[in-house]
Amino acid sequence: MNKLFAMLAAAAALSLAVPAMAEVVVVVNPKAAESSMSKDQVAQFFLGKSSAMTPVDQPESAPIRAEFYKKVTDKDASQAKALWSKLVFTGKATMPKEAGDSAAVKKAVANDPKAIGYIEKSAVDASVKVIYTAP
Amino acid sequence: MKKHLIASALALPFVVSAAHAQDTSTVHISGFGTAALTWSDTNDAEFGRPNQSSGVKKNPRTGVDSNLGLQADYAINDWLSVTGQGLVRKDGADNYGAELTWAFVKAKVSNDVSVRAGRLVLPTFMISEYRNVGYANTFLRPPSEVYSQVPLNSVDGADLTWQHTYGDTTVSAQLAFGRAKTELNGGTDADLSRLHAINLSAEHGPFTLRFGRTEAKLTVELASLNTLVTTLNNAGNAYKISQLNDMARVVDNHKKNGSFTSVGLGMDWKDIIAQTEYAKRKIDSASGSTDSWYVLGGYRIGKFLPYYSHAKLSPSSDFANTIPTACAAGSPAACTPTVRTLYNTLEGLRTSTNSGGQSTDSIGLRWDFMTSADIKFQVDRIKPDGGKGLFLHAAPGFKGPVTVGAVAVDFVF
Repeated sequence: MNKLFAMLAAAAALSLAVPAMAEVVVVVNPKAAESSMSKDQVAQFFLGKSSAMTPVDQPESAPIRAEFYKKVTDKDASQAKALWSKLVFTGKATMPKEAGDSAAVKKAVANDPKAIGYIEKSAVDASVKVIYTAP
Repeated sequence: MKKHLIASALALPFVVSAAHAQDTSTVHISGFGTAALTWSDTNDAEFGRPNQSSGVKKNPRTGVDSNLGLQADYAINDWLSVTGQGLVRKDGADNYGAELTWAFVKAKVSNDVSVRAGRLVLPTFMISEYRNVGYANTFLRPPSEVYSQVPLNSVDGADLTWQHTYGDTTVSAQLAFGRAKTELNGGTDADLSRLHAINLSAEHGPFTLRFGRTEAKLTVELASLNTLVTTLNNAGNAYKISQLNDMARVVDNHKKNGSFTSVGLGMDWKDIIAQTEYAKRKIDSASGSTDSWYVLGGYRIGKFLPYYSHAKLSPSSDFANTIPTACAAGSPAACTPTVRTLYNTLEGLRTSTNSGGQSTDSIGLRWDFMTSADIKFQVDRIKPDGGKGLFLHAAPGFKGPVTVGAVAVDFVF
């Protein structure tokens, strides 16, 4: 009985430990001309519809990537991948570069005035400029 | 800018060979493939993809729908890149063969304009450029009714693409020039020279609208047709019947003006998917004109996408057979039987062309079981219009309908 109680308590603790979804913000280089963008404007770079800016992705395994695509492009990971495979295998574009984590995204964006990336709101610092906050 | 381009193009071979010695981090290797098993419910005819020289009967085979593509992209700098793509599949020759589908240099002239030169795949149809990438498509294979109409794999030439975004609408225009040669099933070559194409598309939110037109001079070396042309000309000259020479020009398959026009509409709105294309082929010869279309609808339920499609091909051999059925009085005795035979030969050509029509109803299911791979199941019910339709090696007396089943795993990497 005690054992069962302990297991239940552990399960409850686990469910509490699952973090609330972090807020996703879209960032660009502080030198970029834009000060804000609409959701659709951001989406066009991450769906390969415009090459005016260079998208920087998070790893496929990162939860923030699925959340970003769902909230900003209205696509799930498979749909976005299918869209990109059209562009890649027609020679129109190459897959966005993947950065290892939010810190690496910030570094890539801080080094390239044309880069655009997404990170947790808590990771924002002066090296990047927030141009869109996902609802 | 122009000078810049030419100078860079000249320097290209050097840059490419030097690249091996350098950091290779700018080379992207990617690939796609499909592993599939296809079968049908008849042994009287074979089902294949457009331009394959053999297909499946009741015994399941992997050759119809399986393929593997590999692509390398190398960015020389931020505006110049090289792309090469090879594809292994069964096509005109009856074994797995490797083709070089793409090999081009691309120069990004501005954010909106790019120029490519080398071997390209032309956007003759809405999905021409990625029709071999199963993962990028909803259906298991592009509808043969439409996609068999131009068995063109790639073009050697150049193109210019302009793309611009106005608000949330992306507009693009593409102009291409070049020449192409394709081995048709049966071993004959189709040769397209002076090929030029235009492709316009507009994307607004979930909707894509596109229009394309390709024109070329078409030559198909078909021994039986060449013999018929000679016979018509000889008879026309011998009996002084100019209509026979007229018909020789109609049947002749050298340097004929061909055009291909198509419109397409795609939609990916919430969970509803729709895609439709209408295509019209015109060739100034006895056997060249067709109308074809398909419509596809699907509804996404989580990772599953059930779909239905209907496709139809209607050839229309619409030349006027002007051969008289009798010769003028005083003609040699052999004249009338000869012109009657030739008249009937041309009517036979018309009948056999027009019997190439068919329609297909397909139901299928796509399951995205992981991020870079899907499994598809598809069942087609194919109804030839009286003749053999697009079936291969049909036994005498074959008539449909035929049911074809397939299961496929598509992947990208």
